[in-house]
Amino acid sequence: MPASDEGKMGTMLTGFSTRLRLSGALVLCAALAACSGGGGSSGSPDQLSAAARLGQKIFVDQTLSVSGKQSCATCHVAGFAFASDNSAGGPDHGLPVPLGGPNMDLSGFRNTPSLMYASFIPAFFFDGDGNPNGGFFRDGRAATLADQAIAPFTTAFEMANADAAAVIEKLKTRPYLADFTAIYGADVLNDPDTALKRMGAALAAYETEDPDFHPFSSKFDYWRNGQATLTSQELNGFALFNNSTKGNCAACHPTTSANGSTPAMFTDFSFDNLGLPRNANIPANADSGAPDYTPVNSDDGVHTYYDLGVCGPLRDDPGLNKSGICGQFKVPTLRNIAVTAPYFHNGQFATLADAIGFYVRRDTNPEQFYPTDSGGNATKFDDLPALYGGQFLVNINEPSSDANYAGNVNTGEIPYNRRLGGQAALTPDEINDVIVFLCTLTDGYDPAHPAAQVLPAQCRAAVTASTP
Amino acid sequence: MKKPFALSLIAAALLAAGAARAADPAAKPAGVDAATAQKLEQQIDLMQQQLEALKAELGQLRKQNESLAAQQQQQAVQVQEVAATASAKPEGGISPNLSLWGYGEIYYTHPVHQPEDTTADLARAVFGIGYRFDDRTVFNSEFEVEHAVSSADDQGEFEVEQFYVDHQLAPWVSVKGGLFLMPFGLLNEHHEPTNYYGVQRNFVETLIIPSTWREGGFAFHGDTDIGLTWDTGLTTGVNLANWSPNPEDPLYRTALQLENSGAAPLQASHQELQLANAQHLFEYGSLNYKGVPGLLVGAAISTGTSKASAQTPDQRVTLWETHARWTPGAADLSAVYARGSITGTAPYNTLNAGGSNPMPSKFYGYYLQGAYSVWRHNGYRLAPFVRWERYDMGAGYEGIAPGFSPVPGGLASDGRPWPQPYDRVWTYGANFYLNPHVVLKADYQSYQTNSDFTRFDLGLGLNF
Ligand code: HEC
Ligand code: HEC
Repeated sequence: MPASDEGKMGTMLTGFSTRLRLSGALVLCAALAACSGGGGSSGSPDQLSAAARLGQKIFVDQTLSVSGKQSCATCHVAGFAFASDNSAGGPDHGLPVPLGGPNMDLSGFRNTPSLMYASFIPAFFFDGDGNPNGGFFRDGRAATLADQAIAPFTTAFEMANADAAAVIEKLKTRPYLADFTAIYGADVLNDPDTALKRMGAALAAYETEDPDFHPFSSKFDYWRNGQATLTSQELNGFALFNNSTKGNCAACHPTTSANGSTPAMFTDFSFDNLGLPRNANIPANADSGAPDYTPVNSDDGVHTYYDLGVCGPLRDDPGLNKSGICGQFKVPTLRNIAVTAPYFHNGQFATLADAIGFYVRRDTNPEQFYPTDSGGNATKFDDLPALYGGQFLVNINEPSSDANYAGNVNTGEIPYNRRLGGQAALTPDEINDVIVFLCTLTDGYDPAHPAAQVLPAQCRAAVTASTP
Repeated sequence: MKKPFALSLIAAALLAAGAARAADPAAKPAGVDAATAQKLEQQIDLMQQQLEALKAELGQLRKQNESLAAQQQQQAVQVQEVAATASAKPEGGISPNLSLWGYGEIYYTHPVHQPEDTTADLARAVFGIGYRFDDRTVFNSEFEVEHAVSSADDQGEFEVEQFYVDHQLAPWVSVKGGLFLMPFGLLNEHHEPTNYYGVQRNFVETLIIPSTWREGGFAFHGDTDIGLTWDTGLTTGVNLANWSPNPEDPLYRTALQLENSGAAPLQASHQELQLANAQHLFEYGSLNYKGVPGLLVGAAISTGTSKASAQTPDQRVTLWETHARWTPGAADLSAVYARGSITGTAPYNTLNAGGSNPMPSKFYGYYLQGAYSVWRHNGYRLAPFVRWERYDMGAGYEGIAPGFSPVPGGLASDGRPWPQPYDRVWTYGANFYLNPHVVLKADYQSYQTNSDFTRFDLGLGLNF
């Protein structure tokens, strides 16, 4: 199914109006014990620590890039829940992955995630069953927010500095250098690696402290606190999202607090392999035509590069040799999901309707998602080497041809435990209900003026006329 | 006495060997240089240490030996005791004030329609220690190892079942404080395997009354001349925040898992004094009448408030029950009815709309049971029994989203329907007592609703 561009069209909140509404929400939050959790977040931005205020300045400073045109905020845009701006006319419109590099013409490998609520992600670890959890980036390769924040400065297709020294040379020219040395001392500038780590710490402080990153001001949050009412369609979507035999989404995107105090995160920070289709719009996926900085990690004769998530190649853990987890990516939060299209690590789907449609029809109708020839032969999981259960050939005219799948893709959990020709876990109407529910996770709702929040077009399109 | 004797022989031999070695260097001719002397001294020191260690070990062995002897003695005393086995806590042993007891059970359960779930388990081994400080003050404790092995990776659990002090204030009233068993139903306070019929405990007193149910708190209790016993106190109670509203997969697939999963309303939320939330205390009261020989009738109630989440109001949780047991001659007839309620579940269930395990507002169960000792000989006793019971862990629900049912309608990810939280169960079986303390059990259970649960069980239970 061709990905449509509808996702980010329509009205988006500008950064400015978001901020105004958020501060309104914060006053309310301060009055409500239930809005706790944000790591000491319940203050206004000028209550940020000195390090966080410094981090804020670094976050938006394009001078720190080789192109002079890119900062963290270029890819992580406040009005788009700190994901990329894919709106019509926006810099990343229609792109599954962002651009960067010295001339702003190099494509990255993955879709930009939202930074909202990222400070709640735990450091990477393997749980008792040997399954990966947490960590930063979609493969969890950075242990902490501060570790993560130093990477973009020296990544060739992002801010593109040659090394830490190059970043620190730029830092020395910046008006906020005095702020930096006041906190971390001037000596550290002689040790560029450490100085860059301090910049990372400042960025992490900003992302952790500034309530803009975790306002808990969605309609869903107000509803849980008894200050808003969900429409019957929203409530039905919520129930479908929770229900173990329908969406079962809450199994990985929990809708209740994990610790009894921090509101629901809509991720359990685990990893999973959804068997997403290979996205031909990512230049790195073009094999012989791929950019020269694309890693080569396959000689299976099908592709030279596969993004295998937690087992590489972007993640490079010598000790991590567990083939069973190859192709797994971290479960992202679904807060603000309506404004962060495109979806999934490879930005394969431009709308929530397509993303959820993939969940429920991946196995019943693979021809809608994977390359299929005229004889009905579909190559499922075409973005995974056969070694790990990818390149799985089925014939849509032979219902039993998908029996006995053995591989890394999750085919055991609802909603994607179906078989060829079977019934999808959610009907198109039910998908609409789930979409309108997901739209209630958009921050910036004002219970006193519900109409003031203008949701993206895809939210409005999913509202069924019959609902009050 | 054979083993200890052998042990002392070995110890003596070791000691002799050590002494011989110690004597050896000393016997060397004179004229040893300083270095050798030092070496020798060191060696002697070392041997002295070894000797000390041996001495200590011997002391320990002796102690073990003593306690073994004490236990054997106790068992001997016990075997002679033909009285009812319930909570027999013999005295004597190491100190006449100290008592030791224990019980345990092993079973084999075979679900006839799901033979792949056949299980054998050392379900529990419990050891009790009591101490009588004076005529009026006693301490009792019980420690339980469930499912044989207990460590972070195993299924087993190590639990403190009881830990309390009881003090008699006057002939008619005592006070107790600590962690104690709740006086509910027929089984909870007398849960040793020799005290109930059937390999597994009945469902009413597992799913509705969450036996083995204990709470921390204090209570007053006493007897009256007319055969009435009473017991009332303040305890920790259920913590509804422990409820799991939306498990992805069914919490149980077999009757055995149902009993052990903690899925039942009060099982899921009772706290066992494990860092218990003591913000809200529960009050309870119970009355039992034993005035007519062979007859026991009683009732109990516990109530208090809890909160399932920060967003829900205070919720009142109440459980009451009534029970009777009549043992005319060789017959043993009993019945229990138990019923519970939780208020304020509607907002909670709405906040978890579509969840696979909504919180019930009502739950209940009852059973009727008859047993008859058909044969007795030389201390052996055979008692066949039959029990009919009905339980409903979700007799009422509030706040279920329109179009959704309390139990998910579709198939679970294992491709099978979700089990229902209610059933009617027939149990036929027999207890065969080798003596009052060791019982072999067999039974067959058939389930009307969750017919997959139908099973055949064998068990061995003992208590001393
Ligand atoms: C060129 C666009 C771009 C720039 C510039 C950029 N990022 Fe990102 N960011 C991304 C992409 C793409 C990912 C996901 C990469 C991956 O998973 O490998 C990401 C991931 C992250 C994450 C991890 C989020 C999570 O859920 O694990 C954080 C945090 C983050 N970026 C912060 C920053 C900061 C701070 C800066 C500035 C120093 C920055 N980014 C600059 C594109 C960008
Ligand atoms: C078994 C775990 C699991 C279940 C169940 C699940 N998800 Fe996800 N979800 C994931 C993972 C893992 C990802 C990230 C996958 C990737 O990018 O490769 C994800 C990503 C998403 C995204 C894209 C997020 C983004 O920022 O790009 C959406 C939207 C989403 N899920 C919605 C749902 C909905 C709706 C359901 C229920 C119908 C659901 N999920 C059920 C694990 C799960």
